[in-house]
Amino acid sequence: MAKPDSLGQFEQLVMTAILARREDAYGVTIHSKVEELARPKAVSLGAVYVTLDRLEDKGLIASWLSDPTAERGGRAKRCYRLEALGERVLEESAVTARRIWESLVDVWGREWGRRWGKELR
Amino acid sequence: MKSAPSKAAEAIVAILVPPACREEVVGDLHERYRSPSQYAFDAWITVPLVILSRVRRTADPQVVLIQAFALYVSFLCAAWFKDAALLQAQWGLLRLAIPAGITLLVVMLEDAYASPGRRSPLRPVRGPVLGLAFALASQGLFWSGNPDLALPRWILLYGCAMSLLLSCAVRMLFPPPTNQLHGANAPADWLKQVGDSDENLKALPAIAAAFLLFLVALHLWK
Repeated sequence: MAKPDSLGQFEQLVMTAILARREDAYGVTIHSKVEELARPKAVSLGAVYVTLDRLEDKGLIASWLSDPTAERGGRAKRCYRLEALGERVLEESAVTARRIWESLVDVWGREWGRRWGKELR
Repeated sequence: MKSAPSKAAEAIVAILVPPACREEVVGDLHERYRSPSQYAFDAWITVPLVILSRVRRTADPQVVLIQAFALYVSFLCAAWFKDAALLQAQWGLLRLAIPAGITLLVVMLEDAYASPGRRSPLRPVRGPVLGLAFALASQGLFWSGNPDLALPRWILLYGCAMSLLLSCAVRMLFPPPTNQLHGANAPADWLKQVGDSDENLKALPAIAAAFLLFLVALHLWK
């Protein structure tokens, strides 16, 4: 079993998407947010399901079934939220990413940092 | 343009998706529906990954390894007792692995497709029986199509009988999980599922004795 404190890049994306969607985090909305975060890469819905299952097994997220809705053909949604451990691990990943960013700016220069900073915004 | 997938298409997808995650996956695909071709493509790339993820959650690697070993040893012993020449033949050991591999695959899929929460006393037996039925059917196809890959009839029958015994024993000792329990640093799932694992380990000598008895019976028969 993977250690809960080791997050892959795709896992970070999925967890960020869950956090961003708040109460409305389920398969379809998580997938659309992950696609937005991972652009220009295409992301399959299946890959999101696999990662959600793995994160749940690691104890980083929790899920529950909501009430069925007509727009889904009378099927329920599986909603997700971050657990406390998940939030802590995501926080650590964000800090690490920030450190990587700052190191790259040191090496490749402030101009590179400004250019990519604008694109990210 | 239709705003919902056809009932037939949705029914096919619902059959293919394991029951444990059917509700949300079929609902998500329904919500994303734009056109029949988009729905078919979405299902085509999503369902296999959902099945694989479910297999990963329901199969404990250690138990799968024990089962693979038990299945292969069963066919190996059957070949050793009935026709040891097969072990020396070209691809002989590989031919023995075919029914064992098919049985293991079917057992893993049967666990993945089991309804969560539904407990049946026949569950430890159902998977191996189904797996061996598929293994026998595949051998039937080999006999008619490619006899070089097929096992001799008696080796197959003895191997299946021993496989059934050992596989059921392994599944009784380490019951397949119906739903993955969550939590960081969780131990192997079967340890939690069986609860009192010491009680189950007490059955180990009985299983070993049954296996030995089977070997002796085979030897006498020979």
